[in-house]
Amino acid sequence: MTIRLLERQINLLEYLTSVGAIFGDDANRPLKQGLQGIDQASLRLEACFSHEKRMEKIVATLPRTFQLLKDDRPGIVREFVEACPSVDIRRIENARQFHGFMCTRWQAHPPEPPYLRDVASCELAIASVRIRDKAQTSQPAISGQGARFRRHPDAVLLRCAYDIRPLFERGVDTDDVAERRDVTLAIAVPSRSDQPAIFELSPPVFALLEELSSWTDRAGLGSQAELDELMVDLAKHGLLEVGS
Amino acid sequence: MTHFKPAPAVGIGYRSAIGDWTRDNLAHFDLLEITVDHCMSSGDSVASAIFDLVGRIPLTAHGIGLSIGTDVPLDLAYLDKVAAVVERLQAPAYSEHLAFTRAPGRDLANLLPLPRTEAVAEAIIAKVRIVQSRISVPFLLENISYLFEWPESDLTDAEFLNLICRETGAGLLLDVENLYLNAHNHGFDPCAFLDDVPAGIVKEVHVAGGVAVRKDFLARPFLADSHSHPVPDAALDLLDRVLTRHAPDTVVLERDDRLHEFGEILDDVRRIRSRIAALSEGPYDNSLVGAADQSA
Repeated sequence: MTIRLLERQINLLEYLTSVGAIFGDDANRPLKQGLQGIDQASLRLEACFSHEKRMEKIVATLPRTFQLLKDDRPGIVREFVEACPSVDIRRIENARQFHGFMCTRWQAHPPEPPYLRDVASCELAIASVRIRDKAQTSQPAISGQGARFRRHPDAVLLRCAYDIRPLFERGVDTDDVAERRDVTLAIAVPSRSDQPAIFELSPPVFALLEELSSWTDRAGLGSQAELDELMVDLAKHGLLEVGS
Repeated sequence: MTHFKPAPAVGIGYRSAIGDWTRDNLAHFDLLEITVDHCMSSGDSVASAIFDLVGRIPLTAHGIGLSIGTDVPLDLAYLDKVAAVVERLQAPAYSEHLAFTRAPGRDLANLLPLPRTEAVAEAIIAKVRIVQSRISVPFLLENISYLFEWPESDLTDAEFLNLICRETGAGLLLDVENLYLNAHNHGFDPCAFLDDVPAGIVKEVHVAGGVAVRKDFLARPFLADSHSHPVPDAALDLLDRVLTRHAPDTVVLERDDRLHEFGEILDDVRRIRSRIAALSEGPYDNSLVGAADQSA
C-alpha cells in the first residue's frame, strides 16, 4: 500500500521530535511506516540539531530562568521534550510552551529556588511585550469631558510573591536572593522607548489597572484632580491608553 | 558581441541582533537580504528598523516560513502577508527553500528535504504557480542542506530543481555552502551539480560557513550549515565556478551565529568581492558595483 507523503511527513516529524531520537534512547527501534530505508543515524543528528535550535530560542527568551534551573536543567528539558513537541517556529511560542510546562510541573514539584516561578513569568512577559505591535492610538487631553481610558493592551500585570526586580537589574550571577514579599509589577514599553521596562505599582494602582480592562469614561473614575496626574503618568509609562 | 552584466551586488542577511552595527556599516554592502518572517512576527521595533532601511540600501526578500514541501495546501493568508512585506521592501525578488519544516501538529523549524521524484516535483510545481500568482516579483527556490535522503529519490538534486524551475520559470537561489556540504556529506561532485543546472538559472547566491560535527553515532563527521564561521575557501571556489556560468544579481553572506565577530563578516564580504573582481575579465562589468546610499 502506498502511504501518502503527508502521513510520512507527520511520522517523520513525530520521530524527529521524540525523546528517543533526540537523546538516542531507542536508536535501534524500527522506524515507523513510510520511513524505512532512511538512515537512522542521520535522522538522529537532524533531531539533535532541531532540538538544540529550539532550546536556543527558549533559553534566549528565558535566560535567567535557565540559569536558575542549574543542575535540574537536563532532567527538566528532557521532560519538556517528552511533554511538549515543537509546534511553532516562533521563539515566543516555544518559550510560552516551556513556561506552560513549568507551571504545570510546579503544581507537583514546587519551584527551586522558590522565586523561579516569578522570574519565569516576568521574562515571558517581557518577551511578549517586546514583540507586540504597538497600538496606534491618539493621546488626547486627559481631563477632557469625553476622555476614556483602558489599560494598555500591550501591558502585562504580574503579581509576584518575591521581589525579583534586582535579579533583572543586576542579573542572577550575584549571590542575591529575591526577597519574599508580595509585589505587584507591570511590564510595558514606555512611550518614548522601544524596550520593555518593569514597574512596581502600588496595590491600589495595580487594582485600578486591573479594572481598566475595557474602555472606561473619565467621569466614572471620580473627580479627584490627582487622578488626572496619575493617568498622565501611567500613559507615559505605557500602562494606560487614552481614547476620546 | 559580448553582453556585459553588472557584477552581482554583495551583501549580508540582515539580523536584528546586529541591526545597529549593520546600519552603521551600510557602506560595506550593496544590499541586505531581509527575512520576511522577521517583519511579520518579531514585533514592531524589529519590523520598523527593517522598513526604515527602504531607500537607504537595496533590499531583497527571503522567506523561512512557507514550508512549500508540506503535503497540504499552501497557507494563502501567510502568502498574502509575505506579498505585502515584499512590496513594502521594494524587493526585486522573493526566495524560499525547496523543503518542508512542518506537518500538522508539529513544526520542526528546521528545513527538511523532500523525496526527489517526479510526483513530488509536480506537486511543488503547482504550489510554485500559486506563489507566483500572489507575489508580484520573481520567485526563487533555494537548495537546502540535508542530512538524510528519502530512499525513493530517483532524481538528482539538479534534476529535481531543473524540473521545477523549467516548468514554472522560477529562478534558483543557489546556496553554495549547502551544495558544498551536501557534496561532502553525501559524496557527490558539486561541479557536476553546477554543470547540470542550466546557464542563467541562478539569480541569487548564498554563501556561509559551517562546522564539522562529530557524534559517537555517526560513522564520520558531518558538515553542518551553522552559518557561524568564515566561508571555507572550497565554497568560494564553487562560487567562482557559479560565476563563470551564471550571472546572479546578488551574493549574500548568511551569518546566524557568532554574530559579533564583525571582523569575520567584513572579511568574508571582502573575500567574496575579490573573487568577483578576479573574474572581472570575464562576463562582469565591476565598475557598475556601487556602495549603498548613506545619504538618507
